[in-house]
Parts: sequence; structure tokens; C-alpha cells
Amino acid sequence: MAKKKQILFPVIFMLVLTMVYTFVLAFINESTAERINELEALEIKRSVLFVLDVPVDEDVSSTYDRAVEEAVIDDTSYYIYSDQGEVSGYVFPFTGTGLWGSISGYISFTPDFTKILGIDFVAHSETPGLGGRIDEEWFKDQFRGLEIKPEDTVIFKPAEGGNIDGITGATLTSDSVRKIVNAFIADILSFAKEANL
Amino acid sequence: MKELMRVFKAGIYKDNPVFRQILGICSSLAVTNLLINSFVMGVGLMFVTAFSSFTVSLLRSTTPKHIRMMVQTLIISAYVIILDIFLKAYFPSMSKALGPYVGLIITNCIIMGRAEAFAQKNKPFISFFDGLIMGLGYTIVLLVIAFFRELLGFGSLFGIQVLGENWVNWTLMIMPPGAFFMLGIVIWATYGLFPKEEQDKGGVKA
Repeated sequence: MAKKKQILFPVIFMLVLTMVYTFVLAFINESTAERINELEALEIKRSVLFVLDVPVDEDVSSTYDRAVEEAVIDDTSYYIYSDQGEVSGYVFPFTGTGLWGSISGYISFTPDFTKILGIDFVAHSETPGLGGRIDEEWFKDQFRGLEIKPEDTVIFKPAEGGNIDGITGATLTSDSVRKIVNAFIADILSFAKEANL
Repeated sequence: MKELMRVFKAGIYKDNPVFRQILGICSSLAVTNLLINSFVMGVGLMFVTAFSSFTVSLLRSTTPKHIRMMVQTLIISAYVIILDIFLKAYFPSMSKALGPYVGLIITNCIIMGRAEAFAQKNKPFISFFDGLIMGLGYTIVLLVIAFFRELLGFGSLFGIQVLGENWVNWTLMIMPPGAFFMLGIVIWATYGLFPKEEQDKGGVKA
């Protein structure tokens, strides 16, 4: 007679093993959660300071805490930058569709919303070495001081009125960035009007 | 000692997971455009394969045969999560660069292959060593591919520019097709370099 397949033992075995591993993972997760959160928060602070073009001389956190305030209006969270008691910039987080996935980052404006102060991309999945070059300083630096127009703020050279160089070999990523930024500026202009910033 | 030597040779060239068993191809294609990414991925895989082989081997006599796959998957995923958390906490830039690939280590056929083909039948210590060496064999192939891809595609090695200003980057090498060409060349070259032993029928197939 063939041996009957055991039922109870495998179930208990699996249960015990799962419990052991869940416990171990929970412990590791718990003990590193604080550190990971801190690192992520620091990354955001660094990005916000970068788009505002604030020189970080000492510690990122202390510079950030001194000059930047967080605010929320109608589910839109943004950051207010004050220099010597005077508001001198607003930072907004943005997300849009890139070539391979979503691109997200921060963009900052002057208080009167006439110029872009800077842009930074914090997460994207563009091709490394091609579209991934949106991370490079020279690309992001082109946005500093860019004048805002009601529509089509960003136009790639050599088109008429072009003001930004796209990335060679990454036409689709460059174009996604252009669309994201232009659409986002339109959104923010109407948001700023409503919120009376 | 002889056993260690045999496992070592198998992992590095005789039965190399990438160019002999053609396992772990997806990640060899995906992360090899930069040396540093390949290196971290390789070390991560070594860690996961070694420890999951060790654990599978440790539990091999108590694990009911018909649920062993489930047990192996559980063990492997636990180590992958540990690695992911570790990278996030201590190497955030690496974790960002590798992105979803860390989580995808679990789908790397090498780990399950070793658990099934080796750890299931051998003692814990030698299984640990086998996992480590198989991971090393994978890492070496990744580094070779990444060396050429980064050098030709970016003109740099480990992020340090080595080819002069006049070097024109081979865009193809950075793109996924570049990995296909390189991997094909590696398999072809190693095929000639380490001739297959004809009578070797006992080779472990995963």
C-alpha cells in the first residue's frame, strides 16, 4: 500500500518557517526604519535646497530648517523659501510620464512666478547614459532663471524661440521633460492665482 | 578539500551559471552598463545564494518533499528582502541605482537552481560554499561584460574617466542590445576557452 501523503506536518512546517522569517524580517525592518526615513527626508531636503540654488555650506538639515517652510493648500504641498524674513521662492513637487516610467522631482519659482529658479529630478527610470542624463548638472542648470510664459515655457533649440538644449540621443526623454514642465507650469500658475501666492 | 576545489572549479568555469548553464541572463543584461552596479548586484547575489543554499540544506531532511519549492521560495525571498533593506539603510545611492533589480534577485534562476541541484543533496557548509562560488562565477561574468560596456559606452571604469576627451561613446553599448552582443561574445569566447568534456554526463543541470 502506498504511503499516504502527510497533510498536517507540511502545514505546520510551513507555518513555523513563515513565522520565524516574518519575525526576523520584522525585526530588521523595525531596527532600520528610522535610519531609512531619515535618509529619505535628507534626500528631499537636499533636492529642495538644490532647486532653490541655496548654497549648502554646513549641514543640509540645519540650512533647510533655517530657510524653508512646508505648507499645504488643497492637497498640494509645497515649500516656501525665505531669505532674511522675505519670501524668495516656492518649491513644488512634480510627477509626469517619461519614456520608460514616471519622472518625479522638484521645481522652484520666484515669488512672482515669472522665472524658474531651478529643477531637480529625484526619481526616474530613463535609459542610463541617454535619457538618464537629465540628472546631469549642465541639463538642470539650463532651467535656472528661465522666464515663464503662459504657454510653452520650455522650447528646445534650434526651434524658434528655443531656450534649452535637449539631450542628444534621448529625444523622447527630452520631449517628455518639456511636456511635463510646460504642463506643470500651467497648473501652478492657475494654482498660484487661486491660492493668492 | 578536494570537494571544495571541485565546487570552486564548477562555479567559476566548468559549470559557470551564466555562460554554461545560461541562467541569470535577465539581470546580466539589465545591470551591466556600469561596473559598480554589476559589482553590487553580484555581491548581493552571492549573499542571497549562499545563505539560501545554506538554509535549504539545513532543512533538507525535515522539509517534506512535495512542498520544498514553496519552502525554497520563502527562504530566498526573505534573504532578498534583508538585502534590500540593508542597501536602503546603508547604501541609499546604490539602492536607487539598482532600483527594482534588487527585488528581482528572487527571480534569478541561479538561486533556485542551486537550491534544487545542490543544496537539496549536500551538507550545509558545502552548500553555502557552492552558493558563494556560483554567485562569484556570476559576478565575474557580469564584471567582464560591464567592463566593456562601460569602457566603450561611457569611456569610464567604475565612474572614473579613462578614455580621453576625443573618445566618442558607443551609444549602442549602453542600450540593452549592447548587452546582448557582449553576452553572445562572452559565451562564444568561453566556449572555445574551456572546451566541454564530452564524457561529462554527470554535470548538474538546473
